[in-house]
Parts: sequence; C-alpha cells; structure tokens
Amino acid sequence: MAEVRPDEISAILRKQLSGFESEVDIYDVGTVLQVGDGIARVYGLSKVMSSELVEFPNDVFAMVLNLEEDSVGCVLFGESALVKEGDTVKRTKRVASLPVGEEMLGRVVNPLGIPIDGKGNINTKKFYPIERKALGVIQRQPVKEPLQTGIAAIDGMIPIGRGQRELIIGDRQTGKTAVAIDTIINQKYTHTEEAAKLGIKPVYCVYVAIGQKSSTVAQVVAKLQEHDAMKYTTVISASASEPAPLQFIAPYAGASLGEFFRDNGKHALVIYDDLSKQAAAYRELSLLLRRPPGREAYPGDVFYLHSRLLERASKLSDDLGGGSLTALPIIETQQGDVSAYIPTNVISITDGQIYLESNLFNAGVRPAINVGISVSRVGGNAQIKAMKKVAGSLRTDLAQYRELEAFSKFGSDLDKITLRVLAKGARLVELLKQGQFSPVPIEKQVVSMYLGTNSYLDSIPLHDIKKFEKEILEFIAVKYNSIFENIKKEKDLSDSTKEEIKKAADEFLTIFKKSA
Amino acid sequence: MAETKVSTRYANSLLDLTSEKNNLEQIAEDMELVRSAINSSSQLRNLLESPVIKLEMKKNILSEIFQEKISGDSINFIRFVVEKSRESLLPSIIAKFLELKDEKLEQISVEVKTSFDFTDEQKTKLKSRLDNILNKRTYLNFKVDKTIVGGFVAKVGDTVYDASVKHQLELLRKEFLQGSVQLN
Repeated sequence: MAEVRPDEISAILRKQLSGFESEVDIYDVGTVLQVGDGIARVYGLSKVMSSELVEFPNDVFAMVLNLEEDSVGCVLFGESALVKEGDTVKRTKRVASLPVGEEMLGRVVNPLGIPIDGKGNINTKKFYPIERKALGVIQRQPVKEPLQTGIAAIDGMIPIGRGQRELIIGDRQTGKTAVAIDTIINQKYTHTEEAAKLGIKPVYCVYVAIGQKSSTVAQVVAKLQEHDAMKYTTVISASASEPAPLQFIAPYAGASLGEFFRDNGKHALVIYDDLSKQAAAYRELSLLLRRPPGREAYPGDVFYLHSRLLERASKLSDDLGGGSLTALPIIETQQGDVSAYIPTNVISITDGQIYLESNLFNAGVRPAINVGISVSRVGGNAQIKAMKKVAGSLRTDLAQYRELEAFSKFGSDLDKITLRVLAKGARLVELLKQGQFSPVPIEKQVVSMYLGTNSYLDSIPLHDIKKFEKEILEFIAVKYNSIFENIKKEKDLSDSTKEEIKKAADEFLTIFKKSA
Repeated sequence: MAETKVSTRYANSLLDLTSEKNNLEQIAEDMELVRSAINSSSQLRNLLESPVIKLEMKKNILSEIFQEKISGDSINFIRFVVEKSRESLLPSIIAKFLELKDEKLEQISVEVKTSFDFTDEQKTKLKSRLDNILNKRTYLNFKVDKTIVGGFVAKVGDTVYDASVKHQLELLRKEFLQGSVQLN
C-alpha cells in the first residue's frame, strides 16, 4: 500500500508558500498557572521582557505587565475563555508594537495594527513599539505653525498650534467628537496643491476610538469617507466590547503612528476619543493585577498614564525635520464636574482646553464652546497675523456681553451703551454658530470676524446674521476675490485689504435683503 | 509565591548536606526514584496531600515504601520534611533539588518528545548535537508523544527546540491566515 509520509506533505505545502521555513524553531515557553478576568499568571518565560507580547494557544495574544519573582502577569488581548490552565505560552521576543507607514492611511485597525475593515493585509515595512519615550528638550522647538480646525470660535479665540496638546472636555452629548471630526475634515485643505504652494504642509490624522460603540466608530468612518477625509486618516478602534488591555494600549498605538509621521518631518494630528474610558480600562486591569487602588479606585500611576501619552505630542526642531504631533485628547465629564480626578489631571497636563457645555448646546449655540473658560496656552504664537488682529477684540466683546447678559435678564431699563454691547454680543454669538461637518477656511473666518467686530452686523436682525454672512462671503468671492487671496498669501490683514473689505461690506449692505 | 520559596529552602539544605557528606550522586538517584514513585501513584500523592492522616502514620508509610530502596540520608530527609508538615511540598522540593543539582554539576536536563521511540544511535546523535549547541553536558529524558506527528521537540529549561511536524503545520496555518479576514 502506498504510504503518505508526513514530511512529504509538508514539503509539498512548503513549495506552495515561498519563504516558509522548516528549520528547527527555537522559542521560549511558560505554563499558564492561573487565568481569569483577562489576566493570566504564567510560570516560566524566564527571559521575558516587560510589555513584551506573548502568544497563547488559539491565537490569543497578551502583553506582559507584571514581572514577579516566580511568575509573570499578562493581560490578555483576546478572550480568556480560550486560555486554559496548563497551556503553553510562547514568547514573541518583541514588545507590543504597531505596524506603521503611509500604508496605514485610509484604514481601520485595532490597537495592534490588525486591520478590521475587511480590506485585507496592510503591507507595512516598519514596526514602532507602542510605548515610546517622549522627546527631550533639545529635540523640540516652540509651537509656531497653526493647525486650523475650521471652527471659527476655536481658530479665532482658542487657536491650536501644530505640536500642541489641547483638551476637549465636556459632558456627554455636547459635540466633543464633532469638534474632533470637523478638525480632521478641515485638514483636507492641507493636502491640496494650493496649500502646498502657500507653504502649508499636509496634516495626517489618526482617530483613536477607545471604549466606544462599534456603531459610533462605523458612523465616524462613514462620515470621514463621505467628506473624502479617510485617505489621510487612520482610525484605531478599541470598541467597548474589546478587552480592557486593548482599550488601554489604543492611545499609545495612536501616538506611535503619529510619531512615525512626525519623525519623517511630516505633521500629524492624533485624537484620543476618549481618555476617561482609557483610564477606566486601566483601572480595571490594575485592580485585576492587584495593584493598590487610590482616589476613585484609580491606581497610583494614572497621572503618569496620561502624562506620558500626552508628552509625546511635540514640535520637532528643524534639525530633526520640523515634524509635529498634535494631540487632541477628549475627556467626558459627569454633570459638568471638571474637578473629578481624571479631568483635573488631564487639564493640568495639556496646553489648554476647550470646554463644551450642555446648556449652551441646548440653547442652540453649536459648537457649544464656552469661550470664557476655554483657553489655549501656546496656540496664540501659531495664529496667523490676520486672525490675531480681528479676533483680539472678539474675546473682550464676548466677555463684556456675557457679563451684561446676566444683568439684562432682570429686565430693568438699560442705557444705550449697554444695549449696544448686548446687541453686538448677541450678533457675535450668532456669527460663531456653525453647522457640523462644515469647516470654514481661515480667510473667510477672518472676513466674517472683521465684519462682526467692526459693527457691520449691528443693522442686521439676529435671525438674518447667518444668511448675511453666507451671502456676503459669496459676494466677496465673486466680486472681491482678491481679499481672500491676499489674506491667504500674506497671512496678514494689510490696510489695503481692510479698505477693500470695508468697500465690499458697504456695497453689500445696500443690496442685502432682510428676510421677513 | 511562598510555596516555591519554601521548596527552594529545603532543596538547598539538602544540597548542602550532600556536599558535606559527598554523596550527591546517591541522593540524586534516590530523589529521582521518589519522584517517579510519586508521579506514578495517585494513592501516594493523596497520602502526601491529605490533612486527615496523622504525621506519624505518614512517616511510617513512607519509610516502609522507600526503606529498602533508598539510602538512609534520603529517608531521613523525607522524614524530616514530614516532621515539619511540609510533605505536600515534597514533589516541588524534589524538583527544585534536582534543578539545583544540575546547576551545580553544570549539566542540564532536556526533555525530548518524539513521535516514536528513537533508536540508541539516534539518541546519542541527538545528545551530542545538543551538547554542542548548549555547551553543557546534557542528559535526555525521552518521551513518546504521538500528537507531534513527526520529528522531535527538545525542551531545555524554558527554551524549546521544535522540529516537529505539528509545529510546522501550525506555522503553515498561520502563513495561510495572513491577510485573511478575522471573524472574531
């Protein structure tokens, strides 16, 4: 009887697969002592490194977090039901890492870089470890280029620079993600040839979704695709159903991918949506690893958890190519309580914060940014001169308005000056309202803010402000396009441009038809 | 864990004793025997672990089993362990002792799994190869395991030298899976 020898079979199969090795394979192993709740204790693995990836049977991977005298604590990236006591664990000899490269753009991956969008393999050449040390002082330089979000209120009053860390904070349902997504969409302009001619370098985006519903992530991806923003964006998703360890490493993976662009002299924007959920995931696995709990049951190193992540945002010195990594972390507060543990931590780490408030949101002020307490500590240096000129008085005007608004509610008789301040303030608030997914280019923002701060809107009824803004911008684009061109090119508001805007505005005011 | 600490302590003391009396070989042999006895008899394991049986009884039973077969020093050591009510740790103490002995003699034990019984010639060949690679004196414990299909698997400490067909098939499976859609 003919016999089929096992090595024959493997020889044939091997032929099918070039690059398949048949040499003796050498690897280090350990044995599972205990498993449960996503944590495995392993005996053996004597040479394993901290944060190394180890492989369990059934293709479950895990990361080593605790190295103890006679056992190793691992956090599982897969289902713990697939791991049994006594199973063999293999070392992979590489620390948890993420494939990086331009090939990642346009893809949806999990925090280990495995594609989850069903578009097949990603052929990257490089791996970056997930945990990388932040750069030192020498390698950095101050933030100096603007990162336009396309949201007038932010670009005007809370400007963000490339390499900055700006926190987006607010209750649930206040449009935090919307701000982030709008920012990504607005980066489309930086990838055009026109931007390249003006010396604006492209910004590559990474959106890290932590502990969110898969349906929400799918929606975000669909929106980005709809606005043609996916081709310069990578989405890293560790959804709510994913084990806590994956949610914990997701932001680090995002930072690593951003650093790849930064280190190659490019500009990257990473959005961590959101870090409160990451802190909760980290708390879960810290408690399971029996690390002592502290305030709100978070472990002692929860500050370091976020500080080491956000320190990785940076603007490189020119010697190193001048790339940048901008971080926009998102924190969800409970009932507006910004003095909880995690919000205070992250507020103190970042270079400013954008507060979104639910009462503003419900009053129809969208984006619901509370300009009074939102700040940007370094972005001012990065703002273009034209914007600086027009937005300077915007802040004070709005501050005055808010102060008087409280009084006016008493309904007492108000003098003329107060009424004028109130009217102007209300118009400015109206002007800063903006729809979702409709970022405004910077030159248009400058013109409309100029009109707002220079009392051109005073004669327009409140409900017509948006209509007026839209129409005058169209009017200028058609008839006085040189205004936009000049602002774009000079990045400044010269006296001649001002004159032109005045002329255009006066002309338009005469033809503008108020709605009934 | 406290357990391994305790075992290490007992094993070390036994090792010290042997170097004093210069009978390491003898004791090691005895301990191998005790280990295989424990491994092969579940009744003996139950005896060691049972908290119900009195220490005196355990001592007597163990003495009776091993009296004829192992040296007086070994018997004494086992009695001593029972005396200290650490008899349930005996298997891990012995394992640790044998490990420490190997370290001391600069030799290393290798567990070899094969799909069929190797001939003596094959065994010596494998041993000389492993001696060369590891740069240490090895002694091989052979075991037949049909599930590896073909080839052999040698385990030295935590390191595995895997030349089994099973492992190759596993690698092959992974190669095929590369780039396929993940379902879970």
